[in-house]
Amino acid sequence: MTLSADNRVSELVAAPRSRGTAWWPSLGGTPAGRFIGMTLLALLLAFLTVYPLSMLLYGSLHSTPPGAAGVFNLDGYRDIFTQRNLLVLLNTVGISLAKTAPSVIVAVFLAWILARTDTPFRGSLEVLVTLPFFIPPILTAMAWGMLGNPQVGLLNQLFQWITGSTASPINVYSYGGVIWHMSQYSIPFLFLLIVDAFRAMDPSLEEAARMCGATRLRTFFTVTLKLMLPALTGATILSFMRGIENFESPLFFGSPAGIHVITTDIYDSINQRSPPQYQYATAISFVIMALMFLIILLQWGLLRGRSFQTVTGKGYSPAVMKLGKWRWATFAFCLLFFVITVVLPVGQLLIGSFFKFFGFYDWDMLTLDHYREVFGSDEFWHGFGNTMLLGFMGATLTMGLGGIVAYISVRTRWRGRRLIDAMAWLPWMMPGIVLGVGFLWGFALLPHAIPIYGTIWALLLAYISLGTPLSVRVMSSAYAQLSFDLEECSRVHGASWLQTMRHIMIALVWPSFAVGWVLVFFGIMRELSASVLLYSVNSEVLSVVLLKLWANGSAEQVSVIGLLMMAMVIVFRWVQLRVIRKWVGAL
Amino acid sequence: MSDVVLEKVSRHFGDFVAVSDVDLRVAQGEFVTLLGPSGCGKTTTLRMVAGLEQNTGGRISIDNEIVSDAASRVFVPSERRRLGMVFQSYAIWPHMTVFENVAYPLRVRRRPADEIRDRVLKTLRLVEMESFAERPAPALSGGQQQRVAIARALVFEPKVLLLDEPLSNLDAKLRLQMGDEFRAIQKRLGMTTLYVTHDQSEAMALSDRVVVMDRGRIQQVGAPEEIYRYPANRTVAGFFGTPNLLPANVEACARIDGGRVRLDVAGSGWRGRCEAAIEVPAGGAVTVMVRPEDIRISDGADDDGLRWSGRIAHTIFRGATIRAVSTSTRPPSAATPSATP
Repeated sequence: MTLSADNRVSELVAAPRSRGTAWWPSLGGTPAGRFIGMTLLALLLAFLTVYPLSMLLYGSLHSTPPGAAGVFNLDGYRDIFTQRNLLVLLNTVGISLAKTAPSVIVAVFLAWILARTDTPFRGSLEVLVTLPFFIPPILTAMAWGMLGNPQVGLLNQLFQWITGSTASPINVYSYGGVIWHMSQYSIPFLFLLIVDAFRAMDPSLEEAARMCGATRLRTFFTVTLKLMLPALTGATILSFMRGIENFESPLFFGSPAGIHVITTDIYDSINQRSPPQYQYATAISFVIMALMFLIILLQWGLLRGRSFQTVTGKGYSPAVMKLGKWRWATFAFCLLFFVITVVLPVGQLLIGSFFKFFGFYDWDMLTLDHYREVFGSDEFWHGFGNTMLLGFMGATLTMGLGGIVAYISVRTRWRGRRLIDAMAWLPWMMPGIVLGVGFLWGFALLPHAIPIYGTIWALLLAYISLGTPLSVRVMSSAYAQLSFDLEECSRVHGASWLQTMRHIMIALVWPSFAVGWVLVFFGIMRELSASVLLYSVNSEVLSVVLLKLWANGSAEQVSVIGLLMMAMVIVFRWVQLRVIRKWVGAL
Repeated sequence: MSDVVLEKVSRHFGDFVAVSDVDLRVAQGEFVTLLGPSGCGKTTTLRMVAGLEQNTGGRISIDNEIVSDAASRVFVPSERRRLGMVFQSYAIWPHMTVFENVAYPLRVRRRPADEIRDRVLKTLRLVEMESFAERPAPALSGGQQQRVAIARALVFEPKVLLLDEPLSNLDAKLRLQMGDEFRAIQKRLGMTTLYVTHDQSEAMALSDRVVVMDRGRIQQVGAPEEIYRYPANRTVAGFFGTPNLLPANVEACARIDGGRVRLDVAGSGWRGRCEAAIEVPAGGAVTVMVRPEDIRISDGADDDGLRWSGRIAHTIFRGATIRAVSTSTRPPSAATPSATP
């Protein structure tokens, strides 16, 4: 190359020497602009997270419903200390523990099968096994309500048809039903959290154990599982928290059987009692937040000093265990999980939607009336429109906010970035229903010039608040993967801060943005607990429409809407896997 | 006059002093290397010139224009300093093709499209990457990425070129080749260049002048041979090669031509003559540096250098050279004769 360097150099030197002077103003660089931006961001986050939290405190001390004149007292807290509430607390913690333990075992087993064995069709199985996580829980809850109904449930009918007995062994309206329904979500949730840890583990660590004379089984327990422990602990605690926050499972299967947990207790005291006991509901919201906070402290305590470093980002090809004949058994296990968690409920919705009455399955009862009814109903189209509008707007705004917060907290050393990060994290310990109560108070106490209460914007704000911790997390990890050089290199070569953001940072993180967007959209579509408190006439979303129909006993129409939502879930998930996965390997 | 001038430049991180009072003047077209162990402040110095790090003290000017002055709070952001830079990681943007990567500095400067195409292709030809123009950037090998990074830094004819350990991620053979190519391009373009490395052989092979840094301070500035022959202190001496350092006492001292000084020294069991930069009175303690390649293994007295005898403990075959380690009651020494003894 050196031989011809002269020619090539002379060509370069002869190039035109004119230079452009189009400098962009470096907005991000000026201290004044930065200060104003940070202040605005802090105010926005404060409104979305700190405001509802402080309104909870206000409401818990205020004797009357939001907006009415009243006095301040401690009656709300006094009412909490009853024997009944001790049972509610025990139920909340007990149910969550009871569903977490078996879920972890199944999830580890599934992760091991799909990441570390030669089970056939692992790629497709992984998509199928994680699908339940993306289905709105309200749909499967209703489907299981029909499948496991003690009188007319399909499973009991099948059992009676097979055995000839008249007994109904399956009743989902029980502790077992609540736990069963929750597990269907925890297992894929845990699986998604731990499978990459299994996949990314350096196989030489296991090979070293084998070389030291340990058997496969011993290696699995003494090395593989031990190394997974930090990731596993984190995921387990997260799953436990989700169990405490859970609203749909206890609402559908617990409440009819007289089993109450804190979330349904909050809901009941506002929606089922007359007059609604807002003060009590708000006070007990603090109990659940205290519980969440304790768990978070436990998590910090447990994980401090533990390193996740064994699980590196290097492209190892993990050692795959040859299972021989047993690989068909593991294949069947995964398939069975999919059949139980997806095929059964979807099948029930499908059957339910075509028969005149739920529970009576004869050929002459086949009908398309329910479809006609649903598509002809304004309520459905209204809810559908609202859900779509809120989904698109909410996901976009949430990810935009998350992207900005994550950028500031990960990529800059600006003053106040920790405060912003902490504020964005706050909804993490607020279950949807608690945030709903907080916003209920918050919107009612706003000046009348800001008529948010009772509009669709109330739901939008609540959704953004609920989605922000997730969006910040997704975007933070996206930014953290990018070397600072990429950004600095652009600056040195003449691009302003804004140009760098547009051409380099946004261009590079937008696949993660899209992944996060779909996740937040799913979250909004399935959201029930905050929506059910904040909706009003004309701002119903699909999940609320479903709940109302279910309460009226229209299980057949519920099936139709449920099927449509399911179709949307599958389309979105397909788009996510097909299109987005090409750009990033995440999720 | 595209020179870079650093006057009393310092950088503090809290109490930690990363760079302290660096004075340096790089002339137009000069290739200057900042050399030192990791953590010596060389990269921080380069980043301050680039505007990626703000100096907490002193003044930096490029082309007679002050770009950063801690006292008067002048700070020109990176993008207005008109620099080219090659990063250690190359920082090739993975979402762009080779062409787009190289075109970036021109595009952000809003050059017309046909000029961009012309200049990008010419620069790619310069680094022999023109056939890869439409390749997506992640599909390149390390050496190819490095060429693209260099092309990107050269494409808009920057005033000054900055390189942060650009060869350290390449394998030994490619490192040599790329270094030579790089020096050839730089010489022909006559571009002022600041180069950071921790590899002394790289520094010696490429630079007009070498700046040796340690613990945030400049230890010595000079041409590679000067630094190699006449290191200013023990740190600098230790950084180039693996010299034998022998404690000795001065017996006599005499000036010779060229401002150098001849010393008669004696160690434990040996004596002889050596050169020094400053006069040392008789009886003073000095450290004598003997480079392994200057040692001859012989059986008798011939010249008037230093001389001592010992037993060769073992030899290590190093290809072009053989390294001999001797043990004796006298100072341990290692000799690497370039010819067979």
